Amino acid sequence: MFKKEDGNEVETVIGPSVQVEGNFVANGDVIIEGIVSGSIKTEKNLHIGAEAKIFADVYAANAVIAGEVQGNIKVKDGLELTNTAKIFGDIKAQVLTINAGAVLHGKCDSGDERKSKLEKIEEREKNKAKETAQPMAEKIK
Amino acid sequence: MYLYLYDSFLNDKKYSSLLAKIETRLTDLGIGGKIFRLSPLRNVSELINDEARAGAQTIVVVGNDKTFTQIINLAAKIDITIGIIPVGPDNKIATALGINSPENGCAVLASRTIEKIDLGKANGTYFLSSLTLSPGNVTIECEDQFKITPPPQQQISICNLKPATANGFGTTSYFNPKDGLLEILIQPLTPLVRGLGQLFRRSNSQNHSIIPFKKIAIRSRGSISILTDGQRILKTPVEIEIAPKKLKIIVGKDRIF
Repeated sequence: MFKKEDGNEVETVIGPSVQVEGNFVANGDVIIEGIVSGSIKTEKNLHIGAEAKIFADVYAANAVIAGEVQGNIKVKDGLELTNTAKIFGDIKAQVLTINAGAVLHGKCDSGDERKSKLEKIEEREKNKAKETAQPMAEKIK
Repeated sequence: MYLYLYDSFLNDKKYSSLLAKIETRLTDLGIGGKIFRLSPLRNVSELINDEARAGAQTIVVVGNDKTFTQIINLAAKIDITIGIIPVGPDNKIATALGINSPENGCAVLASRTIEKIDLGKANGTYFLSSLTLSPGNVTIECEDQFKITPPPQQQISICNLKPATANGFGTTSYFNPKDGLLEILIQPLTPLVRGLGQLFRRSNSQNHSIIPFKKIAIRSRGSISILTDGQRILKTPVEIEIAPKKLKIIVGKDRIF
């Protein structure tokens, strides 16, 4: 939950049948097998077990979700939804893996690539000509 | 200067030859000092404060966990180094500090490896090892941010050193008295078929919860007892926080942290 003074992160484990309410913030890895309501935030890895029930917005660097999450999920790097995962909320992750059988009710936003613009062939050639003309003009100068 | 505090149970004749041996060994090692025998009539707090003012730099507890935890509460409040020579049964703390026998205790004192370690503080009472809660309906408020509600039939401990029941955690990053954190350990109590006297035993299954923290408050509907280091009893509500690097302690090389 906290960064230790010697630099090693500690793992926080919320076991089954334990209930947590409020803003749960951690710097180390977190494993949740119980019930959490409010919000969950960790700068490291998050594992939500198959029996876990989360009524919270979730933020983590990496996450593997096997349980039920009612809330929005924002993951900095990789998010994996296993075949038992049930998500009722929006997802945002850099790399998203959804296994067959996972339930997802919400918007899904993955990767940071910008969508390509539809250009007409004439415009594209004009743009290309402009791009090649500019270095030539600079050379002449 | 060394100050040796002998627990009152060492007045028993069966310990006299062992104490003589320890005293000879300490003299041989050149670390002899003043000896005081504790008794219910003697005010230990006053004694330690007077000796610290007179120049004592190290208090050595000769006894067991009970003696040691009693002295910790006094030593934490003044700038003094503490050591232990374990004698008699119930010496789990000494073992955790890497001291496993009276002879070894003398050698460890002579080598004088000092570590500054964290203590826990529960309603103003310091503890080194752990707090144990009696089963009951409790809520644990952590860092003023979130609230934990464990099921009533679970064993709840607040640990600074690794408890004897905490096996199978795999990682060594927990229960380190130098990390500036305490840990809430919630473990299920499972029925034991053998013997009515041991109706419940602690389980080391995967059903545990472990939550590191710096400050918590434990509240309950009714009053619930909390045992500090297996000795003193506090009642809920209790506020618990870490007292980082509070105690200067002499440790052996086989210590668990």
